[in-house]
Amino acid sequence: MKLYRWGAAIAFVMVFRFSPAASAQTKPPAEASKAATSFDPHDLSGVWFDDHPRPMTVMQRYWAYKFTEGEPPMTAWGQAQFDAAKPSFGPHAFPLAETNDPVYHTCTPLGFPRIFLYPLPFQIAQTPGEVILLFEYDSHRHQIYTDGRAHDTSLGPLWMGDSVGHWEGDTLVADTVNFNDKTWLDRTGHPHSVSLHVVERIRRVDHDHLVDDLTIEDPKAYTKPWTAHLPFILKSNWTIAEAFCEDEQSFEAIDDKAAAPAKK
Amino acid sequence: MRNRPLGIFVAFVCSAALGFSSTVSSQSKPPSANAKSSAATSAPAWAYDLSGVWYDDHPRPNSVTERFWIYKFRPEEPPMTAWGQAKFDAAKSSFGSHPYPLKDTNDPVYNSCAPPGFPRVYLHPFPMQIVQTPSQVIILFEYDSMRHQIYTDGRPHDTALGPLWNGDSIGHWEGDTLVADTVNFNDKTWLDRMGHPHSDQLHVIERIRRVDHDHLAVDFTFEDAKAFTKPWTARLEFQMYPKWTVQEYFCEDQTTFQDMENNEVKPLK
Repeated sequence: MKLYRWGAAIAFVMVFRFSPAASAQTKPPAEASKAATSFDPHDLSGVWFDDHPRPMTVMQRYWAYKFTEGEPPMTAWGQAQFDAAKPSFGPHAFPLAETNDPVYHTCTPLGFPRIFLYPLPFQIAQTPGEVILLFEYDSHRHQIYTDGRAHDTSLGPLWMGDSVGHWEGDTLVADTVNFNDKTWLDRTGHPHSVSLHVVERIRRVDHDHLVDDLTIEDPKAYTKPWTAHLPFILKSNWTIAEAFCEDEQSFEAIDDKAAAPAKK
Repeated sequence: MRNRPLGIFVAFVCSAALGFSSTVSSQSKPPSANAKSSAATSAPAWAYDLSGVWYDDHPRPNSVTERFWIYKFRPEEPPMTAWGQAKFDAAKSSFGSHPYPLKDTNDPVYNSCAPPGFPRVYLHPFPMQIVQTPSQVIILFEYDSMRHQIYTDGRPHDTALGPLWNGDSIGHWEGDTLVADTVNFNDKTWLDRMGHPHSDQLHVIERIRRVDHDHLAVDFTFEDAKAFTKPWTARLEFQMYPKWTVQEYFCEDQTTFQDMENNEVKPLK
């Protein structure tokens, strides 16, 4: 899949982008002392990348296109939306020329939480009042306000939702609401409505590892809340690069062909 | 650009210079003014902290077309080469003194929601938020979620990267001025919203300085041997809005374009 190769190529390039003014983080700590490396659990900053084990087949890597291995508990409405989706990923994938995934023909934003499912890293930057996740893919931004503000009910529906968070001990609990309904929940066409409510419990479990446990709730699409677990590893000598959907040549080729059908 | 009366947020932004997280290393702060200049007094701490939400601070003249800063970098025309002039003449912009209707424009942003790229994103009349980390100064633009990441940890330009919409930016402090240097652009963007061109040889230098606590100035030098006969400069000014946040603003939400294209955004050609 072109995206995989491309993502892998980007990952390969990034491995060699060393920061010359290296801090102690450039060399990963030795295996034996990994857990003992000191860190501030309230400091989530750094570049993070998916940390699932790599099984044998691409199809087994469900986390590259959906949040859980099994199916989420969909309502009838949710199931109907899912059945109508023609994704280009997953076990029932369609060719790119036939997909109705909004991202692939028109480069619409992925939105949240789908952005987590791209095999590209994100950087966390913290300020006194925010924890910001900067995703490499398509410049997406997940801004979690931690200064005590309430959700902003004056905002129209958003691609990324409106996120506020607070610390419970070592866990950042982020609460996101106010989504539009223009995105797929994942890359395989699972749906959501404007009633989507995502709670994340983000915790730096040790110096090099971060986990984000999501609870996904949407009474229109799902019969009950369900959870997903996303593990990440610190890539201390990576930076996030630029990766815009518009650069994906395969989509241009498909649409050019569609615009000028062959007369054979 | 909505105003949020949040006192707590004000306090946090204004104390950012003092209340950095514990991971701030000595690299995040530029050399003190004493080290570089012969000035008797050193600059206040906030001079080295560009954090906050900033928005255009130009006077408001009577007519919209006089507000050059929302579609080009300065009132005067840049000194274009023949190649540059030809590109400019071919541009059908929806802004400026000779605008085309939206349905006739060939502006890549308005035809297909292509990223505006850098430095054009500075000209879209939306705020920007500056975040500083030990190794970067990051400018987060509200418009189309653009990101201008200026690495300040001493690294050189990354020659392994392919041409970029936003270029590859590195910076260093000269006293209380952050000097950012950006190269490695692709040629898929307009330099501004009027259709002034650039090639992949564009080289942009910004001198970013907090002129006082509430005001920021960016002095640009644009250099592009293919498009311009010589380097030229421009200046944009910004004011701090401590109660604002940058929000989400995606091109796809601009219903004018959707209506224009029959509710569908055309793919980029």
